[in-house]
Amino acid sequence: MTLTHDDVRKILAILDESDCEEVHLEFGDVRLHLHRHGGEPGLRGARGADEPAARPSPELADEGRGAPTQPDPARGDRTEPIPEGTVGITAPMLGIFYRSPSPGEKPFVEVGDKVTPDDTVCLLEVMKLFNSVKAGAAGMVEEILVENGALVEYGQRLMLIRRDSA
Amino acid sequence: MRLFIANRGEIAVRIVAACRKLGIETVVAISDADRHTRAAQIADRAVCIGPAPAAESYLKMEAIVSAAKGTGCDAVHPGYGFLAENAKFQRLCIENGLIFVGPSASAMSAMGDKLAARRIAGEIKLPVVPGSGQVDHPDKVRALGRQIGYPFLLKATAGGGGRGMRIVRSPDEIAGSFASARAEAQAAFDEPTLYVERYIERARHVEIQVVGDAYGKIVHFGERDCSIQRRHQKLIEESPSPAVDSDLRARMADAALRLAGHVGYVNAGTVEFMLDLDSMEFYFLEMNTRIQVEHPVTEMVTGIDLVAEQIRIARGEALSVSQDDVKLNGHAIECRINAEVPELDFMPSPGKIVTWAPPSGSGIRVDTHCYPGYIVPPFYDSLLAKVIVHGPDRDSAITRMVHALDTFKASGVGSTVRFNRAVVAHPDFREGRVTTRWVEESFSRGTGWTGRAERQR
Repeated sequence: MTLTHDDVRKILAILDESDCEEVHLEFGDVRLHLHRHGGEPGLRGARGADEPAARPSPELADEGRGAPTQPDPARGDRTEPIPEGTVGITAPMLGIFYRSPSPGEKPFVEVGDKVTPDDTVCLLEVMKLFNSVKAGAAGMVEEILVENGALVEYGQRLMLIRRDSA
Repeated sequence: MRLFIANRGEIAVRIVAACRKLGIETVVAISDADRHTRAAQIADRAVCIGPAPAAESYLKMEAIVSAAKGTGCDAVHPGYGFLAENAKFQRLCIENGLIFVGPSASAMSAMGDKLAARRIAGEIKLPVVPGSGQVDHPDKVRALGRQIGYPFLLKATAGGGGRGMRIVRSPDEIAGSFASARAEAQAAFDEPTLYVERYIERARHVEIQVVGDAYGKIVHFGERDCSIQRRHQKLIEESPSPAVDSDLRARMADAALRLAGHVGYVNAGTVEFMLDLDSMEFYFLEMNTRIQVEHPVTEMVTGIDLVAEQIRIARGEALSVSQDDVKLNGHAIECRINAEVPELDFMPSPGKIVTWAPPSGSGIRVDTHCYPGYIVPPFYDSLLAKVIVHGPDRDSAITRMVHALDTFKASGVGSTVRFNRAVVAHPDFREGRVTTRWVEESFSRGTGWTGRAERQR
């Protein structure tokens, strides 16, 4: 459902004839809220004379996922289907992926290990700041998708956990 | 060389194009909402640095530096907005062995604090808009009001352009404006300090493009007139300025070069001035230490690729031209096309683009990241495209812009194509009679309604 230039003109022409001060319109999946001038439309920060400003607005539903632009075999594309019964652990931030608490120590998890949701499975380092990533699910580590020391992107799939059957 | 682009939208596409020309590999940062952006499609690689909100992606310095290092990049181009004028980010890049495509952190800081910039300009005898140091209390503002005269502006010292700004027309307005300007400045810049500046009633905004290399040479590329603004946002820019003759140009350029030289400016920057149309005096306003949105206007009249020049300078080359090589040929105009509905007080109108057929042809250039089917996300600015035209003179450039905008087809999102067309076709614009308040005063398309839209889940 899209709102054309002419739609807007016609709507405004109709509303101008009315006594309304405030109007809420719903058509298709769009809700339009209109206020007649004179009412305080809310604080609008004046913006820089050069930079377009960030405009927070309600989120749009994800309208489809295309294939990633440069498939990188090490990436663990999150849009690839995963085996039934498994769940992916995705990176909550960009960073360098480390399998162990520190170099030389045993990895947090190996394939075949059982994990609970709060178990730390890896670290992500951003500029010397280390963040632990939790399993988020109960089950068994089925696959580790990223090499130790590799850069991972936000949202990249790191591991697969085979869920415990209820 | 491999360059990391820490920005999005049309400027990310622009930087990729410049890199292509120079044979440089590109890696572009993308947020989760920008996975299908044009820059991601044409760069050599795209790296997702965070979720949609800018604060968690394009403003996350550490993630950007990590991503740049992790993908083997040598340099970072910050574009405009976001971290482009953030001295801390510049230093973080340098500390991590990354070349920063822009000036030094010290030049950035000097010009980023608007009071410091005014003071520096004053020290080297640049004309500065009469104003004050920082004001901490409405009573001080009242006293300054008597001195400077009404109307005056309350401005944020950490601000840029028109953010955190209030026009004060009478003593009654002081208390309210002081409070709201402080609150806005605090929210936007985490710094509530204000200062006072005289408000020039009939003004034009004229800025000088400068570029310096690392060997001390600085060249100016003429002026841009950015007087068509709405709420301190630039809408239409042109070069040369209809109000500037060669003598005034020489004096403004001299002032701009002296300021840039004084702070040891390297790379591209813009010195902004207010031209008081009643006295034809010009006053230093501020300096922007980055490439600007409207840079194509200067590129069209000078034939210089400013973004390529930025990258060359960053990798240590000398400026590719001397001042004598710089000539302004013909006339160029740029219109910014935003995803907004002008009739509803320029309500933002993101969504999925259905039709997208920008104009093309001789003397027409379109800088955009949009394509049919592209979903304009709601998290960032509303800029869809810049339409730039060039002609042998101003009248022919205007005619070319009117024609270009008439042939621009866009649907699915709101767009300001028709609004821009109406402005450039207006006799006041053609006669060069506009001031920075013209759009809001003489050209109001106000319908008496404001609005906002939501999409139901």
